[in-house]
Amino acid sequence: MAGLFVPLSLAAQEPPAKSPREIVAEAAVLMDADEQRVLVESLATANADEVVSLLAKWREGEIYQWQDDEGNSVAVLLDGEPDGDEKFALVTLAAGKPVLAADGTAVRMTKDELYMADTDSKLRRVMKGVTDRLALSSPDVPKRLRAVQDTGLEQDLAKLPLLEQLTVVEKNGKVKQALAEATAMLKLRSEDMAVRETAVKELGAMGSIASQGAIKTVRDEADQGGLVSLVAACDQAQKEIDSHISFVNSAGTVFRGISKGSILLIAAIGLAITFGLMGVINMAHGELIVVGAYTTYMVQNLFAKWNLNGMAWDMYFLVAIPASFLTAALVGLILERGIIRFLYKRPLESLLATWGVSMVMQQLFRLTFGANNVQVESPAFLSGNWTVNDIVFGWNRVFVIGFAVLIIFLTWATLNKTSLGLLIRAVMQNRSMAACMGIRTERVNMMTFAFGSGLAGLAGAFLSQIGNVGPNLGQDYIVDSFMTVVVGGVGNIFGTVISALGIGMADQSLQQILGDPVTGKILVLGAIILFLQWKPSGLFATRSRSLD
Amino acid sequence: MNTSPNAMAKAPTIGLAVIALFLVVGMPSLNAAGVVSDFHLNTWGKYLCYAILAISVDLLWGYTGLLCLGQSLFFALGGYMFGMHLMLMIGKMGAYKSDLPDFMVFLGRKELPGFWEPFYSFPFAALMVFLLPGVLAGIFGYLAFRSRIKGVYFSILTQALTYGAALMFFRNELYMGGNNGFTDFRSILGADIRSPETKRMLYIASAITLVLVFLFCKWLTTSRYGLIQRAIRDSENRVLFSGYSAANFKLFVFVISAMIAGVGGALYVPQVGIINPSEMMTEKSLEAVVWVAVGGRGTLFGPIVGAILVNYLKSWATTEFPDYWLIIMGGSFVLVVLFLPKGIVGIPAQIRELLANRESRRAAAAEDELLNSAAKSE
Repeated sequence: MAGLFVPLSLAAQEPPAKSPREIVAEAAVLMDADEQRVLVESLATANADEVVSLLAKWREGEIYQWQDDEGNSVAVLLDGEPDGDEKFALVTLAAGKPVLAADGTAVRMTKDELYMADTDSKLRRVMKGVTDRLALSSPDVPKRLRAVQDTGLEQDLAKLPLLEQLTVVEKNGKVKQALAEATAMLKLRSEDMAVRETAVKELGAMGSIASQGAIKTVRDEADQGGLVSLVAACDQAQKEIDSHISFVNSAGTVFRGISKGSILLIAAIGLAITFGLMGVINMAHGELIVVGAYTTYMVQNLFAKWNLNGMAWDMYFLVAIPASFLTAALVGLILERGIIRFLYKRPLESLLATWGVSMVMQQLFRLTFGANNVQVESPAFLSGNWTVNDIVFGWNRVFVIGFAVLIIFLTWATLNKTSLGLLIRAVMQNRSMAACMGIRTERVNMMTFAFGSGLAGLAGAFLSQIGNVGPNLGQDYIVDSFMTVVVGGVGNIFGTVISALGIGMADQSLQQILGDPVTGKILVLGAIILFLQWKPSGLFATRSRSLD
Repeated sequence: MNTSPNAMAKAPTIGLAVIALFLVVGMPSLNAAGVVSDFHLNTWGKYLCYAILAISVDLLWGYTGLLCLGQSLFFALGGYMFGMHLMLMIGKMGAYKSDLPDFMVFLGRKELPGFWEPFYSFPFAALMVFLLPGVLAGIFGYLAFRSRIKGVYFSILTQALTYGAALMFFRNELYMGGNNGFTDFRSILGADIRSPETKRMLYIASAITLVLVFLFCKWLTTSRYGLIQRAIRDSENRVLFSGYSAANFKLFVFVISAMIAGVGGALYVPQVGIINPSEMMTEKSLEAVVWVAVGGRGTLFGPIVGAILVNYLKSWATTEFPDYWLIIMGGSFVLVVLFLPKGIVGIPAQIRELLANRESRRAAAAEDELLNSAAKSE
């Protein structure tokens, strides 16, 4: 009886194995529900993406049955937009070819003239089983992982054999772990209380955060049933999970602390050069950071204007990094030549003059880019997360940490391994002596200040990936940057590194403990003031015989 | 370099007396006669408070060499202390018709926090105007000077202190009005705070305070104490090696200057009718430093001139060139630092110095020529 309805076209081009499209096309027009289910189940080994979309079409009623002249039903899809009479062109589901009438013209029909291939609840359950199983064996690891986790949360005991089967063949360590967790969670619904207890113990040992709710349900049931040992096992498991959570939280705090410290470090490293080494109080340092951030924004816009997409567009950031360094260095150069070189002997006045510069620059930003924040998109390789043992590492933050390390290394290498660095150190230690030795101190001052300013620009490029870019961005970092340099010990790059990490960690830990960023920040400021009582010249004081 | 005080003392003293008389008596009389508008008088009252703040900055920076970026904090604290009294004096006239200040009702507070209670008393509030800034400066100064934090480090630390305090005052949990601060004052010492008469009295109070502060600082800086102060500015180590405890001197002047700033703030608040945490941001301190730099540091008259002039320029530029006033301000500031290290009141001295330099150069050149010709003839 079933054979009667098999479309002739299919039979004609019988391939060695039927494609999912053909199987669905065949199943959709079957009258026998049992045979339909068998056919659908056979899809469980086919290409996942295709099957999922086909089954979704079926469930949502997009597949229709069309009777050809010989009375055979053919599964068809509507093609394109309806015409004035609400009629659609038809294509066969199996081959995707237009449906032609006997005279060779395209068949057009309204929806009402066709039978929709419908589904009943049994069939839908089979379909879901198939899609679930497909997802569980998806070749894409994150998708597979998600499917496994979802199965665990569903706690459908019927899927236990499937999971066990998958555990045997799974190669990926993370998915294997997730499978173990999901299996244990399924077992929580087992009728056998001993099985439940082992599962609870396993989950406890895994520190499974996801299973907390399920374990609580088990505990409540066990409590009602008077199962003392199971209740105890649940409590023990919950305790283990809690300790795992607090481990995850503190690890997260450490990570955020390091990343916050790295941000501080990137913002302060330029200042460690201009202020720490040169003794210039550059209040416009924050604005140099903003110069870098806006340069990144402009490079991004340029790439968008060239209609670059995907990878090519992502590359904008790699172009923006040197561009922001150079732009900020150029601005720094102008600043040094125009103003700061007259004020080397008057540090407090350099503070005032550069503050005036910062006012001017802020207003120039506002006039050029508007008073509101501008949008800087992160390239694809900076978005997303990386989860290890339930601890979430944001890519952009990981990148910032890596970048901070790189900047520090480059700065250290420049100062200690290049001839420019040698000159810089000589001039900074004793300007007039260096001049006597024939060093062109003016030039070295210029280069050093430009270098420090360029580092501020780099900071801007990175801050644009983390926060907002606006004319006031620099003001948010200026106090923190100065504090970092002062605490680290002026003139000592290593001290700046330690102090940035210390302040970052203190800030994030206090925020975690107090649950309030502002109080944490106030406490950190207070702690810094007290710290300077103990070590007035910072962590690593530069020893010198000169009086002031 | 510094012209001796005695040589030119007479003429400026008379000039200053005339200016003081004009500020204290002249302006209010003109206002009462209708020549000077109420708005104008109020603006001038504001400027005079700024001038008090500027003097306090100068006492530290110009005379002692301590660039404090926390003067706006002391100014705002004085303002807050007096503002608390004014808030309580609103009574049931507020929007919520409650005995509590409006913002507390808004925060769902049922009763006054304990530390607000004493501020019903005017003398207590007036005392706190001095005391709180003084105590804060005392503690901070003790810590800072004891560990010999000086120069730019002192500036940066005071900046951090101010920043931290501003963050604290932005919080509602402090019960100091949070973001919006205190506003909507109604009465002061039983008088309607918005009436022209009260405003005139407030102006006169500011003018008298300014004159008193000026005289006090004049006395302080010309005393033996002032000498040590300037010695600390010029070479702290020598003062130290001469057996003076520089830290104590610095602490004293720091506390005094904080109190002066606090008084300025207390007079400022009833005249502008609002105080909020943005008043204590570091930028405000820097602005006050700018006034001093523009007017002329190391003088007592300079800061007054600077405060009035810069604020005048500011209110003119903000209405005439709203988009460019920051550039005008910042730019002129850079120019002053670069080219007028002694500020506006120092211009005559600078010109004299320039002329003297040219004179001596010419003399030196003439001498050289003489020597050269002598050498040739030999």
